[in-house]
Amino acid sequence: MSEISLQSSAGMPAAPLGRLLGWLGVRATLVTGLAIGLAIIFLGFAGPSLYPVDPYAINPAHALQGPSTSFPLGTDELGRDELALLLSGGFATLVVALPAAILAFLTGLAYGLAAGLGPGWLDRLLMRLLDAILALPSLIILIFFASLVTLNNTSLILLLGFISWPSLARLVRNETLAQRGRDFVLATEQLGASRFYIARVHLLRVMAPILVVNGTFMVGDSIFALSALSFLGLGVQPPQVSWGSLLESGLDIIALDPWWLILPPGLLVFGALIAASLTGQGLLARYGGTR
Amino acid sequence: MSAVLRLENLSVALPRGSRKPVPVLDELNLFVKAGEMLALVGESGSGKTIAALSVMRLLPKGAKISGQAWLGETDLTALDEPAMRRIRGLGAAMVFQNPLAALNPSRTVASQIQEAYRVHNSASPRAARARALELLGEVGIPNAAARLDDYPHQFSGGMRQRVMIAMALSCGPKLLIADEPTTGLDPLIARQIMALIGRLRRELNMGVLFVTHDLSVVEEHADSIHVLYAGRSVEWGGGAEFFAHPRHPYSEALLGSVARIGQARLQNIPGNLPEPESRPPGCRFFSRCGYSQPECNISYPPPDPQGGTTAACLYPLPATSRPIYFETLEKPPGPPREPQLEIRDLSVRYTGNAGLFSPAASLPKALADIALTLGRGECLGVVGESGSGKSTLGRAVLQMIPYQGHILLDGQDFAALRGQSRRAQRRRIQVVFQDPRESLNPRIRVADAIAEPFRLSADKSNQRERVNTLLDRVGLNPEIGQRLPGGVSGGQAQRIAIARALAAGPELIVLDEPTSSLDVSTQAMLLNLLKDLAVETGLSYILISHDFAVVSYMADRIAVLNAGKIVEINDTAALIASPEHEYTRALIGAAPQLRDRLSAPPAGVKTL
Repeated sequence: MSEISLQSSAGMPAAPLGRLLGWLGVRATLVTGLAIGLAIIFLGFAGPSLYPVDPYAINPAHALQGPSTSFPLGTDELGRDELALLLSGGFATLVVALPAAILAFLTGLAYGLAAGLGPGWLDRLLMRLLDAILALPSLIILIFFASLVTLNNTSLILLLGFISWPSLARLVRNETLAQRGRDFVLATEQLGASRFYIARVHLLRVMAPILVVNGTFMVGDSIFALSALSFLGLGVQPPQVSWGSLLESGLDIIALDPWWLILPPGLLVFGALIAASLTGQGLLARYGGTR
Repeated sequence: MSAVLRLENLSVALPRGSRKPVPVLDELNLFVKAGEMLALVGESGSGKTIAALSVMRLLPKGAKISGQAWLGETDLTALDEPAMRRIRGLGAAMVFQNPLAALNPSRTVASQIQEAYRVHNSASPRAARARALELLGEVGIPNAAARLDDYPHQFSGGMRQRVMIAMALSCGPKLLIADEPTTGLDPLIARQIMALIGRLRRELNMGVLFVTHDLSVVEEHADSIHVLYAGRSVEWGGGAEFFAHPRHPYSEALLGSVARIGQARLQNIPGNLPEPESRPPGCRFFSRCGYSQPECNISYPPPDPQGGTTAACLYPLPATSRPIYFETLEKPPGPPREPQLEIRDLSVRYTGNAGLFSPAASLPKALADIALTLGRGECLGVVGESGSGKSTLGRAVLQMIPYQGHILLDGQDFAALRGQSRRAQRRRIQVVFQDPRESLNPRIRVADAIAEPFRLSADKSNQRERVNTLLDRVGLNPEIGQRLPGGVSGGQAQRIAIARALAAGPELIVLDEPTSSLDVSTQAMLLNLLKDLAVETGLSYILISHDFAVVSYMADRIAVLNAGKIVEINDTAALIASPEHEYTRALIGAAPQLRDRLSAPPAGVKTL
């Protein structure tokens, strides 16, 4: 009966309370993360139609006004409605960051599976290549390439999708190597199954928890990277705004103390990161152990 | 002789999740005398390990103990933790199943034995080292002085267990608790460990509480026996009397399910262990007992002492009855068979560490020049100790590893096949592995796992129906198909693995230690199932095992493997009757034998 852990029964604090708090903690992490994340996604996609104000209508008479009933989040230096800009910027951010995260996820997954299931020479080749990619600072590379190409949604998705996959690829490759020697995989090979079948039916299922968790983290990474690029002027291009560019234009005139232009986009980027991180950690704690 | 350990009405309940504690052990009474070995026997879920851990007070957090555990004049259940720490090692010491997990890999064995010794003795480092040397000699480590500063990984499994025993003995405990110390060891090594514990207990006048699931292990050494079933005592008493004529139907069934050389049929115990939450009010073996009457299910039967043992049974078997496990069957050599699988000049090298500076040619061979032929419908047993290459042989036959030489199925060499035709031929050989938990993808439902061979074949029709037929064939309820592998027992998981292998329509199944991680009664049912399947379908088996008795029960022919070579191969009966190789003789000697205790006087305690 090896499943019994050998702990002393005496001198320990009562267990149930700790276990309850732990359970609540996991629940709270997951629920909070999901709630923030879903709220942001909802605002990004449904916001513009729920608050149908033209974000690009310039109105110098109302420039740089604080929040009021007619402008819930105030106006910028051109008199544009800040709330409408935020919602439009949210859509612009998500419409690039989400596909980029999906692209990075699929790239990393395919790369890792190919290295883990392929012949030894392919594994060595792919892993050395990965080492080289990981050795370069990703944000700098991103800025370098962003300065070379015409920036539009497609090129941004490709750029962002390219930078965040290597860590997932390595994880998937290591996990594949660990799983492919397990008896049920060997028994499936004995049935005449191809490697592709084994990857699709068996490996993806046993790896599902870590894939979901890391996929969540990648969404956060992608939003952050896009905001950073936009902040530097290399992301979503004007006239379209994004959270990063809104933050940047607010900071340009920080001497005028327009807090309503700086705080909301900053909070949204921060919230998206927190949501991705909490959801990922909650999922990891809840499902990560059951492999 | 006074009792070293006396348990009085010891009951233990363990917490299960957030629900209220579940009773796992009820009103256990036993005593261990100085210099004697008591074997506490039971299968998974019997509560035997819990009983041992509760003596050492090493139960999981939240466990509730009632009753008393007297070590000499001290009630261990009433001690606080600091007082209990003074008992551990000094009054009672424990040896666990897995010595590798219990030893610190980064420290020498001398330092670990010295540490154990100095917990209770204020000895100088020099004196402690002298004591460590003395102990290693006592537990039979050859050349002990030279091995003091070796690390645990430099010892073999059996030697590590000896080191564990030396640590346990370091402070001269009055009671040694051994929890399955021989499980997982090769049978020859296990025998040596048993003999060692048997000798030490008398030399040191120490009581031994020996916890095991395997009755055959303790047959030669236990002075007394205590059998648990589902958390309650079913029979206890003298060892010799118990093995000569078990009186509780469960004891009889358990003895009958131990594979012995020359045995006709292992006994099946139908049904499953009752869950701790839903144990019957009366005899807990009620639902599975062949002799049960309605009144057995009312209350726990009063103990009935007779003929040296006490059975908690309303209708115990008479002490003079001849137990079923004494029936033997002469195994005549079968008719000549047409060859199915041919192995010629098979060699396998280890490839693990082959690299730039250690070319593969310099590595030792895992298998060398194997040649054998398997007849259609034949069961070939392959026995050998760990590292003998027996599993490697199985994997080569399955084409799972690269090899040199030729393996032919119905005359068709695998080496001459490529792509689809090779896959198709591979599929005709299926496999059942040792660890039932590893044989199934934990995230795929049982029915889907069994249907997988259908989905991977040309004929994809009627999958559900065919899955249910297979489940029925391996003795499982179709309802189990909807569960995930985590929700089935080890024995059930192994049946599912067999059903899955059968679904591929194989002609040969490689059974790689298929029962060695299972309880004896589960093992008996699986072996019987495999035997019946072979008769019904004409399947051939290659059965790989370190357990000679299991192999002799199943196999028509046995190949004995030692250090990568076949040292002997013969028909089962002929091999047992006249083993030629010394290693074969040792294996046969270590395996449980059929002994007619009624015609012979009760065997005394033997030592090696």
